[in-house]
Parts: sequence; structure tokens; C-alpha cells
Amino acid sequence: MADQISLLAVFPDLEPAANAIDTLRSLGLSDENMNVISGVPVTEAMLGRPRQWTNVPRLALGGAGGGFLVGTFLVFTPLLYFVPVGGQPTVPGPPSVVILFELTMLGLLISTFLGVFLDSTFPSYRPMEYVPEISDGKIGILYHCPADKEEKFTKAMTALGAERVELAEEQQL
Amino acid sequence: MAATSQHLELSHEERLREQHLMLDPKPRGEMNAMVMEAMHTTSWKFWVMAVLLGGIVLIGLFGAWGYLIAEGLGVAGVNRPSYWGIFLVNTVFWIGISHAGTFISAILRVFKAEFRRPFTRAAELMTTFGLVQAGFSIFMHMGRVWLAYWLFPYPNERQLWPNFHSPLSWDLLAITTYLLASTMYLFLPLIPDMAMARDRSTGWRKNAYKILALGFRGTEGEWTHLRTAMSIFAFAIIPVMFSVHTIVAWDFAAATRPGWSSTIFGPYFVVGALHSGMGAVIMVLAIVRATMKNMKYFIRPEHFDAIGKLMLIISMTWAYFFFNDYIVQWYGGDRWTKELLHWHEAGPMGWMWFLMLIVNVAIPWLVLWNKKWRSTPWVVFVVGLLINVGMYIERYIIIPISLTINRQPFTWRLYKPGIEIPLSIGTLAFFILLYMLASKFIPLVPVWEVQEGQMAHSVKKFGRETVVTVSELD
Repeated sequence: MADQISLLAVFPDLEPAANAIDTLRSLGLSDENMNVISGVPVTEAMLGRPRQWTNVPRLALGGAGGGFLVGTFLVFTPLLYFVPVGGQPTVPGPPSVVILFELTMLGLLISTFLGVFLDSTFPSYRPMEYVPEISDGKIGILYHCPADKEEKFTKAMTALGAERVELAEEQQL
Repeated sequence: MAATSQHLELSHEERLREQHLMLDPKPRGEMNAMVMEAMHTTSWKFWVMAVLLGGIVLIGLFGAWGYLIAEGLGVAGVNRPSYWGIFLVNTVFWIGISHAGTFISAILRVFKAEFRRPFTRAAELMTTFGLVQAGFSIFMHMGRVWLAYWLFPYPNERQLWPNFHSPLSWDLLAITTYLLASTMYLFLPLIPDMAMARDRSTGWRKNAYKILALGFRGTEGEWTHLRTAMSIFAFAIIPVMFSVHTIVAWDFAAATRPGWSSTIFGPYFVVGALHSGMGAVIMVLAIVRATMKNMKYFIRPEHFDAIGKLMLIISMTWAYFFFNDYIVQWYGGDRWTKELLHWHEAGPMGWMWFLMLIVNVAIPWLVLWNKKWRSTPWVVFVVGLLINVGMYIERYIIIPISLTINRQPFTWRLYKPGIEIPLSIGTLAFFILLYMLASKFIPLVPVWEVQEGQMAHSVKKFGRETVVTVSELD
């Protein structure tokens, strides 16, 4: 098996980037071997890419469950220090709803936030393949291809309008 | 003839582009540079203002608070029967201000109101900084602030446990939840802008932005996780926002005091919060537009027009809830409630009651119906300021003035604030100072959101008519 190299093609716009992805596929690269880097969210549909998987909703749900359990503990704390008051329940219903709601929502939102960190492996301060022009609106296509086919891939990308194609070197952001 | 018609049509399209930010795109690099320049350009006036506000914060907030802690709550005006004074007025007021950020960022995002894009962050910052002031005010009101941990469950020697079923504990939970949620909601869409700032900064700023950008590059996965999280936040934070001010309202409504025991207080407070919050947003936008470089491109009369319409609707809704609350209390005929209503209107502070109605209802209705007026920044700034004065007065009437009248006439006594006045000025100065300093470090305009919106907008011709169209990019 030939050695793999990583290349980064920088496109000025969305349209040539979408065409480049089709071309990379036709040259034998699978979708797992490419990644699109952009300064604005471009959807999978715009680029004809497979749907991205995210665990954030599941983590959010888990967090909501966790928050509900913490809320349940707080709701039932009067049982730990039982003080009977005539005519009043130890664990009253309606106020318990308020506590359960707030803590469930807090759990949901915190876990959603942390979900982004977990799924994106944030924070990550190690060197990565990137060029600062991406936050200026350029679209970067990062792909891994056999080293012996570098020229062929580079030519194809340049023909499709890539402003430059370079070896994707990891650099400090 | 055909040439004239073409010219007219072209100028109509040009006019559309001039009016709407979404139809007037600039290259992303240029927009980034404009936002960075706005952050980096600081005049001497800024620093004079910052030093002045810093002095007020030191003396008015921390100095006066230190004095309050050293001397005890006796130096404040709170006493029988008005145990809740300006501290609580400030708490309710600042929580109200904080509602605007979520309203603009979450509700308008859910409803895909495109005009929100350039100023979501400016509003979200208000939420976080407003809640900080609300939290301060609660701690001031505690007096013995070093015993705040008594609110948490732990087995102490006297077997005193907090009652989590008390409305005041709901407050703690709701405000904490909202503060954390709104801070996270502020931070998530900020990550790409931090990466943008990281890519074009040097020195300490670069290091700071690098830490805050968390290593964001803009890969497909990162955008997917971020957008999914923002969608969840947008939907989930709305009920949290409603719950916060509803729970604050229940602090009053759950008591059986004249004037407070009202089933409509929850929504009435929420609408009041939005009223003052939107007024504050429009003030902030007018100041940002006038004082920060390049902001006239991002914040245009169309935005004041849109917020002005919302303010008008909210003012009408507030008037509806106010009258609904008033007429039921008035019709109820309870002796003490009637006494209180009379006190509101004809007591020594009666002028406040009338001023509240004038600035919360009459002025917004008289001004904001007119498109030209509501598109003029200084006009809506004045209206926003007056609404905030009106809403502060509303809380003042509900809390210390209403507490004056109870079922024990021998305790009736007019509330006179003491140390609360410098503390209130201090919190206001602290809010402005935090905002000013943040505006020099945090990109106030979410550039990627603006660009995303500009990608979705276009001008199309239907027959002879030129119209604006928006595509769903999701």
C-alpha cells in the first residue's frame, strides 16, 4: 500500500469546492478521506457530503436525566430532616415541579454545552492542519491521498479553481 | 422610456441593498477586518469614560457595599414595613434587562427572523452582564453575605436546613440556571468569531483568543456539533427565560399581601422584562452604532425599525397585562387592596404611577407607530431610555411603595432609601463598564452569522417587481 499524504486545497467559493468533492470521489477517494474546513457553516447538502454524526442530542438527553435526578434529591431532602408541620405535606407537589423543571433544564443545557466539547475534542491546542484564510471566507478541502498520486490530485483541484493546493502541515493555530 | 424604467428599477434594487444588510454583502475578509478595527480603535474619550465608571464602581459599588457589610443593614432604608427595598427593585430590573438577549437570540432565531443576525451578540452580552448585577443585588440584600452558603443543604449544628420548596430557593435555582445557560449560549456562537480574531491578532490578544477559540478550525464536524447545540439551546433556553421572571413574580404573588396576590403576575412580569430589555437593547445598539467604528454598516435603520415594532407590540401587551391586573384588584373590593390602589395613584409617590403609564405606554404608542421615527436611532434611544425609567418605577411601585400599605395600619411608613442609592448607581456603572470593556475584546457582531444570512438572501424579479427572497440553508 502506497504512503498516504494529506493535502489542503483552498477554494474561493462554495461551488468549486462542491465540484472538487465530486472529483475527489471520482478519483477514488472515499468520503472518510476528506474533510471540509470553512469559516461559515456549509451544510452537507450544499457540498453533497454524507450527514455528519453528532452525539450532542443524546448527551443533552442524558444531562436532562441527570438534572432530573439531582432535582429529585433536592425535592426529597425534607425526608432527611423530617419536620412535621400540621396540614402541610413533607414533600409538596407543585413546588417540586419548579425544582425538577429548573434542574432538568440546567442538566440538559450543561450537557449540551459539554457535548460540543466532547464531540469536537475541545479544547485542543496541539498543531493542526489549517490556513487562516479559511476564516476570511475561503473553503478548505483537506484530503488524504496516495503519495504517488499527489500530482494528479493537485492538477485536478487546480483545474477546478483551487487557489492553491499544498501539503497539509500541522501548525500551531 | 424603457431606459428610464430600467434606471428606476435599478435604483430600487440599489435602495434595497442600501437598506438591508443581508442584501449588501461584503467579502468575508473585509467584514472581519471591519469588526476587528471596531474592537481595536479606542479613543481617549473611551478611556476617560472607563476611568470615570471605574471610580463610580469602586466607590459606589464596592466601597458602599463594604460599608454596608461593616455597618449592617441598618444603613439601608429597608425597615418595617418595607423589608424589600431598592435591592429587590434592582434585582427584578436587571433580570428584566437580561431577558432581551435570550428573546432576540433564541426566540428570533427559532422564528428565523433574519434581522436579528448582526446584533444577537450585543443583546446576549446584556443578558450575562445584567444577571451579574441582579446577583450582586441579591447578595447586597442578604446583608450578612458571608452566610450565603446557608442556602445549600448541609447538616449544620443547629439542624437548620434550607427549604427547597420556598419561592426564594426557586429564585436561587432559576437565576443560577439562567445565568449559566445564557453564559454558555453567549459562548457557543462566539467560538468561530474567537477563531477569526485569533487568526488576525498578535501578542497577548492572540494568546487570549487562542485559548478561547479552543482550537476551532471550522471542520464539518465542529460546525455540526456547534449548530446542533445552538438549536437545542435556542429551544431549551426559552422556557428557562420565561421561568426565571415568572418565578421572580411568584416571590410576590405567592404572598397574600394586598396588591401582590395575583395569578397574572407571572406573565405580567415576563412581558415587563421584555419591555425594559428591548428598550435597553435599542439603547445599546444606538450607542454602539454611534461610537464604534464601522458599525453603521452592520447596524442600520432597518434594525431599529424592526426592534421598534417589537417594542410597540410589547408595550401594548404590557398595557394589557397591567390593566388586567389592575381591574381585577380594583373590582375585588378588598379594603386593603383599595387602600393600596388609592395610595399608588394619590399617595405622596402618586406622580410615579402616572409617569410609569406615560413612559411605558403613551410615549411608545405615540412615537413607535411611525416608521420614520422608529428608524431614527436617537429617537428610539430616547424611547428606550424612557421605557427603562418607566419599568424601574413600575418595580419601585410594586415593591417598596406597595409594601407601605398592609393590613396593620400602625406600621405604615414610607420607604426612604439610604445606602441603596450609591449601590444602585454602582451596579449601573458596573454594567456599562463591563459592556464597554467587553466591546474591546469580544467581536460584538457575529460575522459568520451575518455572512450566513447574506448567503441566504437574494433579490429576485417577479414580473416588474423586485423582491427580497430568503432561502432555507438548513
